[in-house]
Amino acid sequence: MVDPASGPFLFDTGAESWLARTQSNWMRQYLSRHQLHVSAVTVLERSRGYSLLYSRAPDSRKESIEARRVAYLSLLGRVWPLDAAVAVVAGEIMVLLPDPPTPPRRSHHLAESRAERLSRWRFDAMIAATALVATLPLIHNNVVDFEAIRGAIERAPGRFPNLGPLQLIRCQLLRETVH
Amino acid sequence: MSTRHREGGSKKRRTTLTLPVESLTQAERIARARKVNLSTVISEAIAEGLRTHSALERSEQVFNAYKKAFSGLTDHEMAILDGIILEPASRR
Repeated sequence: MVDPASGPFLFDTGAESWLARTQSNWMRQYLSRHQLHVSAVTVLERSRGYSLLYSRAPDSRKESIEARRVAYLSLLGRVWPLDAAVAVVAGEIMVLLPDPPTPPRRSHHLAESRAERLSRWRFDAMIAATALVATLPLIHNNVVDFEAIRGAIERAPGRFPNLGPLQLIRCQLLRETVH
Repeated sequence: MSTRHREGGSKKRRTTLTLPVESLTQAERIARARKVNLSTVISEAIAEGLRTHSALERSEQVFNAYKKAFSGLTDHEMAILDGIILEPASRR
């Protein structure tokens, strides 16, 4: 059971949208008590995503994509910066785990390039580093990537003095505890 | 109604309220226990209630903005918003 009142938590990019799309009552309760905390990297990923959708959309759809982007930006709560402390920790994680733990995603006739997979992996490292520096539990929807990072940090505590452990909460767990 | 300022306090205004007997009795009991007047206890209770109400309003605003931000998109479009960029295999 994860009590919404026990926050605040840092939300990974995938967790933020997953919780919004599942119309989670847990999320409602959380928002009545805390701001939404995200990394600036999440804002980057989201902003890039809306911009890509906009550039590829037919003219008839561009306005609605832009309205969604504006709605997203209007709800930003606490955005944690990618500052020097986060950069140092993220750099350590990237050296410990230079390669993503899973191959690029594939879906029917679509595929993620190796370069995209690597940049997504590095973004995950930056988000995990943000959670570690902010001492906030990280709510995520990506078990393989974040468990790999958590394990690496635990195995090399000397590289992360006075930090850790990385606390992870799967967003599926929140759905199971919603009343 | 009359309005007055108290030194170091916020602006006050006298009014008449009709309250449920049970709530009033409970407020009087708290006032006696804390050795403060009834107005103080009622003011604190109202302030707390208004804070909760504001938080719920804010929560609904954010939740509605969320719904707008992520609704009506395909799984592929949501993946792009989540930073997962899938391209047709032939374009790679």
